[in-house]
Amino acid sequence: MDGGALTGAAIEARGLHKRFQATLALDDVSFSVGPGEVHALIGENGAGKSTLIKILGGVHRPDRGTVEVDGRTRRFSGPRDALASGIVVIPQEMRVVPALSVAENVLIQAVPTRRFLGLAIVDRTAMARNAAALLGRLGIDIDPRARVDRLGYAERQLVMIARALSREARAVILDEPTAALEAREVERLFAAIDALKKDGVAIVYVSHRLDEVDALADTCTILRDGRAVERYERGERGRDEVIRLMTGRDIGTAPASADAGSARTLLRGPLAEEPEVAVDEGRVLGLAGLLGSGTTELLHRLFGTGRPAARIEKTGAPVGLGSPADAIRAGLGLVPGERALGLVMGLTVRENIVLPNLPLLARGLRLRKEAIDRLVESLIESVDIRPPDPDRTVRQLSGGNQQKVIFARWLAGHADVLLLDEPTHGIDIGAKAQIHRLMRRFVEDGGGIALASSEMAELLAVSDSVLAMRRGAVVGRFSREGEYTESALRSALGG
Amino acid sequence: MKRTIEAGNAARLGWLAGQIPLLALIVLCLIASALSDRFFSPININNVLMQGAVMTVITIGMTYVIICGGFDLSVGSVVALSGCVTAMAMLEAGIVAGVAAGVAVGALVGLINGLVVTRLDVNPFIATLGTMVLFRGVTFLITGGRPIVGEDGLPELFLDFAIERLFGIPYLVWLPVALFGVFHLLLHHTAYGIRVFATGGNTEAAYLAGVAVRRVRASSYVWCGALAGLAGVMLASRLQSGQPTAGAFYELTAIAAVVLGGASLFGGEGKLYKSIIGVFIMVVLANALNLANVHSYWQQVAIGLVIVAAAAADRLRRR
Repeated sequence: MDGGALTGAAIEARGLHKRFQATLALDDVSFSVGPGEVHALIGENGAGKSTLIKILGGVHRPDRGTVEVDGRTRRFSGPRDALASGIVVIPQEMRVVPALSVAENVLIQAVPTRRFLGLAIVDRTAMARNAAALLGRLGIDIDPRARVDRLGYAERQLVMIARALSREARAVILDEPTAALEAREVERLFAAIDALKKDGVAIVYVSHRLDEVDALADTCTILRDGRAVERYERGERGRDEVIRLMTGRDIGTAPASADAGSARTLLRGPLAEEPEVAVDEGRVLGLAGLLGSGTTELLHRLFGTGRPAARIEKTGAPVGLGSPADAIRAGLGLVPGERALGLVMGLTVRENIVLPNLPLLARGLRLRKEAIDRLVESLIESVDIRPPDPDRTVRQLSGGNQQKVIFARWLAGHADVLLLDEPTHGIDIGAKAQIHRLMRRFVEDGGGIALASSEMAELLAVSDSVLAMRRGAVVGRFSREGEYTESALRSALGG
Repeated sequence: MKRTIEAGNAARLGWLAGQIPLLALIVLCLIASALSDRFFSPININNVLMQGAVMTVITIGMTYVIICGGFDLSVGSVVALSGCVTAMAMLEAGIVAGVAAGVAVGALVGLINGLVVTRLDVNPFIATLGTMVLFRGVTFLITGGRPIVGEDGLPELFLDFAIERLFGIPYLVWLPVALFGVFHLLLHHTAYGIRVFATGGNTEAAYLAGVAVRRVRASSYVWCGALAGLAGVMLASRLQSGQPTAGAFYELTAIAAVVLGGASLFGGEGKLYKSIIGVFIMVVLANALNLANVHSYWQQVAIGLVIVAAAAADRLRRR
């Protein structure tokens, strides 16, 4: 221990600023984490968590502010520099090499070699031994010789953590590590984090699951709109207070549709499949589930992807869905979880809006240009796409505006049921509120929405009722008449 | 206010960068005329147009396939097959039957390519590499490797097509002009065109927007095959015979022309007129080197360099 022991911090960030075009992603954010300490970063989507991680990991450079590792100021010109200084980031999409063994993946940056005929060749025995030792230190029971593509997500994550240990990491940053894990796997992860802690590794834990943060974190920093609004020690703040600080408002104040009377069912399906759901006129049906819970698959199924063709009941009439084209004709619209699935980035705003509505907007081959221009112009205004330029390629728009283009496309046609998969994921707070308003307006005009989200606060605020899903099955139903809280949802999900 | 001016400037700069192929073609013509006063002579201009005509027809189809996210190596073989089938059918059953047979056989090969790529999910590069070799073999099989001329030659009227002129320009050149008009409208001003761009730009997103992506992709191969078939008919008229060895390397020239015109090999981006500019960059370059008496071996080296340089410059511009 050199300089680090004096200041006491493994990582110390001071006054970080980062601007992306019009968005101030980080505004004077400071935080520090000491050796053997778990520091949680919490906040809503778009609060600045990922920007902060990317700066610590050397992906982005801050416009202002400094990062110190063990008391020495570092300027990272790329992820390699961050790694070299001992900061290891474990992202949600993990970079393991599927065709290599566990041992090879763990030791990929520290391959043991021996001399053979003057050549340095891989020492398999030492490799297996070293890898087993590292895995053992984390209390992980995985065969070092197994190929990584045979492992599940949770095990790959542990392999990545073992790799961090092999590099003598000073700090490990975990980005939403439990988003795709089940309860048992979470326990194993926590045990590994505990082992890292005992080794004196500093841990930055990014999450929006408050239960985990309570269980794990020694200290916690709350980010909101790019600012660090609060720093507290374990147990100093109550749950409601934390949520208020995260969201800037009290929960449960956003009213959903007013009347609780019976409404016409617009969509029922997929028929004779499990689960079957119903979307009612004027209502938002929430689908709660963690990654891999089956909510995304359900929405895609209702939209006619996959084989054999799904069957649905649309306003009482049976419809067979051979492809999304059938679903669109029946009045359905899908906003997929990844914007890359929803938009053709190289096409213009106009073309992306028009694309699924071509059967309505073209006579044979001929486009009804004037009708299209009028429609696109009015939609750009009503969903507030900025800049309001129909000829701009969507690649040039911000994430929030791209999402509004997908909404506009379904408002252009005759869709009366929207299937939304994480529609506000990764967009800034302003755009998020606008998307919520669009949803509200859509159901008030007689439409129905199925909304899948892993953000419980959003689901509870926007939906009239919520289905909790796990491993492709419904494990709980919640409505405003009964218990309608985040903790009730969470316990149903087993997260 | 200042920002909008800057944005305007940026847009103009981007537009200008997009016109680099056209500027390159103009500069190339000026250099060629400086090297040889024969370049702008009517005979030479006629030559350039004739050479560009066949390649333009092939490149129109190739542009469709590439914008739709595919690739077609088989067009050169289709040119040879179609030329021979045309000549054989024409000798048996007359001009109309010959032309129809040539185009139809091209469309059929295109359909096969399209089905193999979309239904069997074979990589387009490999699928069309296979059909390229396959149909070259078929051509040799049906001709026995000999040119198809017939005892009294092909019908006079068919050969006139490559010789007779309208307003001083050969009919053979008018045909691609008309085809360009039709296929430009289809690609850039119709619902089908939007679907082609969407399928090539992001197949999954296009599918989720209700586009029948497999049918659209397959259709691009059918266009490409049919147009290559027509190019084979034109070449047979020029060569006054069906030549089983014709069309060698045409696929590479067409692909190079599309790339020179700035279309993305990943699909979803491109302009038909720019691909045609790409064709004439290739043709004028070869012509200029000829006029300057550069040895044909060196010509190949020079053309290869230009293609690599153009592709590299395009990557730099996008970055």
